[in-house]
Amino acid sequence: MAAPQASNNLLTGGGIFLSAALTMLGAFQYMDAETTRQSESRDVYKVGAQTARFAEFQTAVPQNAILGYITDVDDAQPIASAMLLSAQYTLVPRLLERGVLQDLVLGNFTHPADFVAFGQQRGLKLERDFGNGVILFKRDSAAKASGQR
Amino acid sequence: MTLFSIALSVLIGKLAVYRFGRLQSLQPVWASWMLTGGAGIATGIGLSGCLYFLLRFLLPASAASWLYLILRLAMVAALGYDCWRRSAVDTSVPARSLRFRFIPWLAIAFFLSLILVTYAMSIVWEANPQGNWDAWSIWNLRAKFLAAQGEGMAARAWSPILSFTHPEYPLLLSSFVAACWSDVGGTTSSAAPIATGYLMFLALLGMVTGGVAALRGPFSGLLAGLLLMGIPAFLLEVPAQCADVPLACFMAGAVLMALLERPILAGALAGFAAFTKDEGLLFVAVAIVIVAALRRNALLQFCLGALPVTALALVFKFVVARGTNSLLSGATGAKVLDPERIQTVVSAMLKEVLHWNAGWYHPLLPVVIVAITLRFDRRQTRDAMFGFSVAALMLLGYACVYVVTPNDLTWQLQTSLTRLFVQVCPLLLIGLFVALKGIEPEPAAMPIAAEPKKSKKARKGK
Repeated sequence: MAAPQASNNLLTGGGIFLSAALTMLGAFQYMDAETTRQSESRDVYKVGAQTARFAEFQTAVPQNAILGYITDVDDAQPIASAMLLSAQYTLVPRLLERGVLQDLVLGNFTHPADFVAFGQQRGLKLERDFGNGVILFKRDSAAKASGQR
Repeated sequence: MTLFSIALSVLIGKLAVYRFGRLQSLQPVWASWMLTGGAGIATGIGLSGCLYFLLRFLLPASAASWLYLILRLAMVAALGYDCWRRSAVDTSVPARSLRFRFIPWLAIAFFLSLILVTYAMSIVWEANPQGNWDAWSIWNLRAKFLAAQGEGMAARAWSPILSFTHPEYPLLLSSFVAACWSDVGGTTSSAAPIATGYLMFLALLGMVTGGVAALRGPFSGLLAGLLLMGIPAFLLEVPAQCADVPLACFMAGAVLMALLERPILAGALAGFAAFTKDEGLLFVAVAIVIVAALRRNALLQFCLGALPVTALALVFKFVVARGTNSLLSGATGAKVLDPERIQTVVSAMLKEVLHWNAGWYHPLLPVVIVAITLRFDRRQTRDAMFGFSVAALMLLGYACVYVVTPNDLTWQLQTSLTRLFVQVCPLLLIGLFVALKGIEPEPAAMPIAAEPKKSKKARKGK
């Protein structure tokens, strides 16, 4: 060790002891904060719950599918991103693309509604309702022919 | 089985670092073990991640999975045999044991802190096994694509359709997690990303503690490790399962290895950083500039070490994932001259450091006490400059990206600034401890036998 060194006296020891004690306090503060925080924020975006919600959908739709994606939530709301991303995370390796460009379209809804009418407004035919707001739509052949998006 | 997969990768890294890193000659012995362990974990995860990505890119899923396992077993066998063969003729001199007052107490504090933070992390793992937003929506999402069976499934990880979740981001971390899942037949258990995140934290802690101990003595090393575990904002990111702690680990490892004059290993770790996050590419550029300025003799070896994985990262970004939007797509140079944006960024960065408190405790408190106690050593300016200037240039680079970003600046700052500081804080810690004086061992404990023998004349003259 070529570096010059601080003396090994009690003053140095006191400073070291104080800083070590403070860092341990920091670690303790972190533990305390996490215990509180995690008890209040378990799976905030309900990502874990999506596995059960999409279970039947996963068995019905092929793994290599590329699906369109529609929802009843306004895109500007933060929950819209959370819903799309958690659905994408759960449905891998299927790909989700916002809009109705694909032949098969996933409807991801927060509230019960007239899903048939919702689809028809966008040139979609309801293929199957899996419950819990999970709907599979198919592009209407007439809409497909006219190139509706 | 997940643990076996991770253990195999870590073993490759440890053997590779043991064989080629020449770290075992460093003192004290425990520091060299911590360094070898830390660098080994980082290298093992880095190598395995890159290998799996390449195989998955070139081959169908089942062939890639088998070849990945066989290649790793072959690497363990080859490296293990080579290490064993060399250890049989090892003639290294046994280490001198110096005694330091307080060291046992510091070691106890170190391990108590590690137990405390690990317990806290276990609470997070239990409550949010899928990690935080970025973990499941970016890193683990893409790992799932890379682990998926079926033709063309891996390529979906960088499909432009995923433009809402950054398909252009580098893939080292996702590839490693995917590799662990692939080893267990595609089961996407959360154990793999959780263990990966925690191991990268241990690797970072081991390298910072061992590296500083080798550079400035065991006292400084243990203190540096303790200080790292005393930064709540940093610890929050460990169980988040994002790429920031792995990136921090690779960057800190690269700087430490450069300071310890292991430029090839330093370059290799910098290369892994480049394939971990976009910021890693900036780090490689910054590190090359700093090495060229302050350690010119090591420049060629550093570049050689960094070249393979940095090239992989660049090919991925500009060839494989071309057509996807990057963070800077739509950025305009005119924003650089906007004083209001510059002021917003600078002000946010300054406030960020001040907001790292947890209650009345702020991690700068022990840092200030340590700096006052040990005091700066002017003769270490060059090494200290190395650590600090890498951190400073990284922060400058981040500030420039913020200024020109096409995204909403306030949103961008709110969602990423803390994580950027988390990446840089180990570098600042290394710079600080390198700049400070070490602590001398107990005079009475200096081994007499180790002192050079003096002649009778010389002793009389004294």
